[in-house]
Amino acid sequence: MSVLVGRKIRKIYGKKSTAQEVLKGIDIEVSKGEFVGIMGPSGSGKTTLLNVLCSIDHPTEGVVEINGQSLSGMKEKELAKFRREQLGFIFQDYNLLDTLTVKENILLPFSISKLPKAAAESRLKELVELLGITDILNKYPNEVSGGQKQRTSAARALITNPTLVFADEPTGALDSKSATALLTNLEKINQHKSATIMMVTHDSVAASFCSRVLFLKDGAIYTEVYRGDKTRQQFFQQIMNTQSVLGGDGYDA
Amino acid sequence: MTLSRLIFRSMRKNLKQYYLYFFALIFSVTLCFSFTTLQYNPSVIEALEQSGTASTGFKVASYILYVIITLFVLYASQLFMKRRSKEIGLYQLIGMTKGLVVRLIALENIVLFVLAVCIGMIFGFFSSRLFAMILMKMLEIDMVINLSFSKEAFNQSVLIFAILLVVIILQLVWMVRRVSLLSLFSATKQADERVKRFSIFESIMGLLGLLLIAFGYYFSTILFDVKISFLNNLFLNMIIILASTMLGTFLFFRYSVSLIMNAIRTRKKGHLKVSDVLAITPIMHRMKGNSKSLTLITLLTGLAVGIMSLSYISYYSSGTNARQASPYDYILLNNKGTEFLEQLELEGIQYEQDTYSISTVMLNIKDLVSEHIGEVAIFEGESETTVVPLSDLHKIEPDVQLADGEAALTSYVNVLAEIMQLNAGKEITVKAGETEIPLYITEIREDFLLSEHVAQGSPILVVTDEMFKEIQSNNVEETAFTSQIGINLTDKKDRERAEEIYKPYERYIVNEETGASFPLPSYEELRKRNITGLGLTIFVTAFLGFAFLLTTGSILYFKQMAEAEDERESYRILRKIGFSTNELLKGIYAKQAFNFGVPLVIGLLHSYFAVKSGWWLFGTEMVAPLIITMSLYVIMYAVFAVLSIQYYKKVVRESL
Repeated sequence: MSVLVGRKIRKIYGKKSTAQEVLKGIDIEVSKGEFVGIMGPSGSGKTTLLNVLCSIDHPTEGVVEINGQSLSGMKEKELAKFRREQLGFIFQDYNLLDTLTVKENILLPFSISKLPKAAAESRLKELVELLGITDILNKYPNEVSGGQKQRTSAARALITNPTLVFADEPTGALDSKSATALLTNLEKINQHKSATIMMVTHDSVAASFCSRVLFLKDGAIYTEVYRGDKTRQQFFQQIMNTQSVLGGDGYDA
Repeated sequence: MTLSRLIFRSMRKNLKQYYLYFFALIFSVTLCFSFTTLQYNPSVIEALEQSGTASTGFKVASYILYVIITLFVLYASQLFMKRRSKEIGLYQLIGMTKGLVVRLIALENIVLFVLAVCIGMIFGFFSSRLFAMILMKMLEIDMVINLSFSKEAFNQSVLIFAILLVVIILQLVWMVRRVSLLSLFSATKQADERVKRFSIFESIMGLLGLLLIAFGYYFSTILFDVKISFLNNLFLNMIIILASTMLGTFLFFRYSVSLIMNAIRTRKKGHLKVSDVLAITPIMHRMKGNSKSLTLITLLTGLAVGIMSLSYISYYSSGTNARQASPYDYILLNNKGTEFLEQLELEGIQYEQDTYSISTVMLNIKDLVSEHIGEVAIFEGESETTVVPLSDLHKIEPDVQLADGEAALTSYVNVLAEIMQLNAGKEITVKAGETEIPLYITEIREDFLLSEHVAQGSPILVVTDEMFKEIQSNNVEETAFTSQIGINLTDKKDRERAEEIYKPYERYIVNEETGASFPLPSYEELRKRNITGLGLTIFVTAFLGFAFLLTTGSILYFKQMAEAEDERESYRILRKIGFSTNELLKGIYAKQAFNFGVPLVIGLLHSYFAVKSGWWLFGTEMVAPLIITMSLYVIMYAVFAVLSIQYYKKVVRESL
């Protein structure tokens, strides 16, 4: 079953004279429980694609459907509600509010959608145990490490049991150890809770945790590779090979 | 690119970005120039001389105005310069020397100031006429105000702003010296400083702040209690009240607010609502940086509203004050000057008249005050008190009833009534001549019936007609006043003519031989005197209050703009994870309600207690003038709150 369907997505920035086509008709489909990576050199349109797919940005042309619902007809308010209830977000710079504690940051999505406190607490407990951040719940973001911040951000993304989790360079600001810990956690959550995750990255190691990796070049899908039964090492090798074929500044992470 | 082109370009860019600073400058110049122009306007000076009002009030006010404007402009420039510290760092990063950067921005400021002074003076020149007209209206003077350009006003305003410009440039030099390139890269450090945990010390200080304010308020209500204030330490007590409320206000903003908000927030155990996220937590964490300016704004608001209310109270009371001194339009004593009535009739002016019989008794006021006040020595001994019969009081208050041996006291309000309250329901003994008469006081009333010259500021005793006759017959020596005729015009249109007729009777001749006399002005004359005496005061205080309001409101608004910019990132995050603009705005409303509401409410409370404790020294009516002043202040303040919300709206919309 497809959770996310994108058809002929085009995105053009600027006015007529200075128009720049960032996405050139992308077709994409993500099934439930998939862990999809999007790779590509800088300027290939990765983040634009993610923004369009997750309703933060509007495509110039084309259709995006999540869970069978088309995003194009929705108003700002409906889109916000949709994002809150159906989607989860993890960003490179964590996007945590400094003024809230870790726990408050994780429970942030429930500040509007009403969920009984007990239910919220039990979900919180399960997630923080899975992500290993139980001890820091009452600390402020500036008192914890980058890895912990990113796991907090992941917990916030997952607390609503979203249909789809979008991660934009989640390991970009982390050292390799924290990055691996986070990715292992994401993988675990993907498998145990069958959460669907879509991750933009230009780190091949990060991409090797995915079940499928799409390669973008100049605003179009260049190729895609599946992990299948391969070990992570083998898959990593395959990604590296694809990148070298893709050329350019492939490994710049 | 040459330096001048660079200046021009950055000016054009900055004018758009910091147009508010420019407006603040123009506005300050307008305020300053219109006031000084008014001060030097020959028509105004002439009018003031005619009415005999001293113009020293103007001088003092203009100095206060300069101080307000100086603080405001310095604050605004600092606020806007701070925003440019990055730009300054960037200039240095690309290799400009500090000297060049200073020259660049100094030139920019000079151009800005020159423009602002020119524009502001044009506005000020025309608005000064409006202000002059308001002033004349307040003084009830009919006069055409001519616009005239005053050289003194021009010189003074230019001088003030030239000094300000120099100070700002010095500030700039200091700032450029201080800004290191490193600060360009340490944007995140701010957040680290902002978020901190609460210590026990802070909790104690928070509580202390609330207690200090409460103590100040309580103390202000008993400030004029006779027993406390007559012990010579009124001034000291005032200082204590001021200090405790001021310190309390600071502690409140610095600690109590965070304390209260943190208590609300901890109780939610992590399950916050939108308003908590957008209002409570940011306010809580910003309090450390904001507390000083909020305290200042609160105190200035309190001061401004307090002073405006008091001066408005006196202006507002000028009519009632005159009525208390002369309860009738015209008063004739001991049947002297009855020719006035004949003349009125001759002119066909209709009037009503009440005649009062007057006598005196000796009364010991100590018998009527509460016990703890009675201990104060000044109440010892008897004093002469005026007496009128009940039937005379019935002329203005037909419902009063007195049985045999009963009496009432009236005309007891204002300062005396506030300081020492008299109690009804007491047995007293009065002396008429050598005879002692026991009386039971049934009530303390507030009617005014006799001229102030008769009552001499003491209460008037009302007794039954039989008792009055007894008192009269017992008084062997003739009393100073035996009767009063009170005259009220039926048609107020005749007043002008009647005033002229009354002129010769304005002095009451006590003794023809010695020529001893005292003035007995008409009600209208008294009222006019009050108005001209107070009109200038209220105008000046209103003008200053207005300046206070606009400057504090602007500062709050500027601060909120800066805060909105700081919060932009939070709004972006929240919108990304699915908060709609409306939901964010709900939280922002709550936050603005706090940022504008709390300083306003506390400022108003401060002024309320200040006014309440001593208003009766200024006038006879507190509630109406106080409410009017406060409402006007609140309305104008709301304008700034709405403006800031508009700005937040813009930021939220742009954030995604």
